[in-house]
Amino acid sequence: MQIKASSISDVGLKRDGNEDSFSTDDSLGLYIVADGMGGHLAGEVASRIAVEMINKSFRKWIEEEAQANEFFGKPDSSLSLKGNYILSSIRLANKVVYEMAMEYKQYHGMGTTVVILLVTPTLIIAANVGDSRIYMLRAGELERLSKDHTIVSEQVEMGMMTEEEAATSPMKHILTRNFGSSETVEPDIFELEPSNNDRFVLCSDGLTDLVTDEEIFEMTQSEDDPENLCRKFIDTVLKRGAHDNTTVISVFLSDVEKRGGGSKIGLFFGDLVVGIQKIIKKLIP
Amino acid sequence: MARLILMFNKQVIKEYPLLKESVTIGRNEDNTITINNLAVSGYHARIDIAGPDFILTDLQSTNGSFVNDKKVVSHKLSHGDNVMIGKHVILFVGVEKGKAAADRKKMDMDKTMMLDTAKQKELLAKQQKSPQAAQAVEKIGVMEAIDGSDIGEIELTKKLIKIGKAHSSEIKLSGLFMPATVATISRRPSGYIISPTGGKVKVNGEVVKDSVQLKDFDTIDVGSYRFQFYEKEVKNS
Repeated sequence: MQIKASSISDVGLKRDGNEDSFSTDDSLGLYIVADGMGGHLAGEVASRIAVEMINKSFRKWIEEEAQANEFFGKPDSSLSLKGNYILSSIRLANKVVYEMAMEYKQYHGMGTTVVILLVTPTLIIAANVGDSRIYMLRAGELERLSKDHTIVSEQVEMGMMTEEEAATSPMKHILTRNFGSSETVEPDIFELEPSNNDRFVLCSDGLTDLVTDEEIFEMTQSEDDPENLCRKFIDTVLKRGAHDNTTVISVFLSDVEKRGGGSKIGLFFGDLVVGIQKIIKKLIP
Repeated sequence: MARLILMFNKQVIKEYPLLKESVTIGRNEDNTITINNLAVSGYHARIDIAGPDFILTDLQSTNGSFVNDKKVVSHKLSHGDNVMIGKHVILFVGVEKGKAAADRKKMDMDKTMMLDTAKQKELLAKQQKSPQAAQAVEKIGVMEAIDGSDIGEIELTKKLIKIGKAHSSEIKLSGLFMPATVATISRRPSGYIISPTGGKVKVNGEVVKDSVQLKDFDTIDVGSYRFQFYEKEVKNS
């Protein structure tokens, strides 16, 4: 499997500082965007700590092949081992942000969203807390792999509000879950198998406030280079006023092997075909 | 300072200042504003402070919340708004213009905010446990074998379900040509999505090329097996 990833974070036109943080790690296949909040640079601190803690703890657990008894908090049986590493690293990072916010006066009230993508040859994991998002483009369709944790989107889910009303609601930025405001936090986590030519976009709400899902779909579909795609997103946001910080990561996959595993008899036929092809090549140079 | 005035039959019962914390209104005693009337739900509505604004949210109450005789789910309160909860009226008294800016640092609603007071958290938790919220039941997908095999009903509790010959498969199938993993079903924000990974999978008789979102009572053919998919309600514990 080949991974090509690119990222850009832009302060925008209205804000003094950039409270977003992000990380990309092609060797682990781990991509993170965090959108911090809280004045006097506390938002920046919250998002940076979250990203660093998740990277560190996830790497540690992967390297040690940690088992269920080493997880932070109760393991989730609906998730794979790697899914539980992600869950544990989110719980741990939240606790660190929370404790810093409690301990130090200058960090009081700080918080952050987090969105994580893990790409491995056999498994894709998407996790989020807050309203930063992950999109997946697969087989000509754009799909969200994250759930917005806002009052508005919860009301949409319960059928109390339409998507259109939600988009213009004055409350669309009020979060119901985030890092830093509570000792524990439960993310939404999704797992799926990778498919060839999958494309992923991770972003803070600086992008989704100004660019619609349809536009994200069209741009992701038409750009063949992840760096150009990030640039295009940022240019569009800047053209539209960029009232917030914007961070985007694009991850493009290629040469993903179909992992059928093959039945024994299927493998036998497969070997037979390859063998015959070799013989034919020898016979007809 | 903004405040709320609780009234019944045009008589003022009590005044509540709107300070830093959110205010909840309901029949239960742990609300900020308790209204002991059967027309009022246990946790009926909430008023959140968002920057300079006050936002009323109906907590899925049985009888609804009304602002100036209009039913609302959420509403940004303006000075003089009449909030009707059951037969009680709560009058919202905002801050006079000009003074508002001085009172509170102007915050634009574009800025992401979080609900972070301890009380808020408690109430959100309670709201999830309250009987009204229980109406929003969780659903779980089920694959039921309808080919006479002894597989029976399999609940799709995992986020990623593998179907195939491999021992680690959540739905284990046998057969001479059955691959280790013939397909996967993943539970995503949009629902349950089946994707073939190395074999032929049919949904309602059509071969699946990339992936398909499963709907209630879809039939799924894999090898000689046939399943029916449906979502059943599970009680939130």
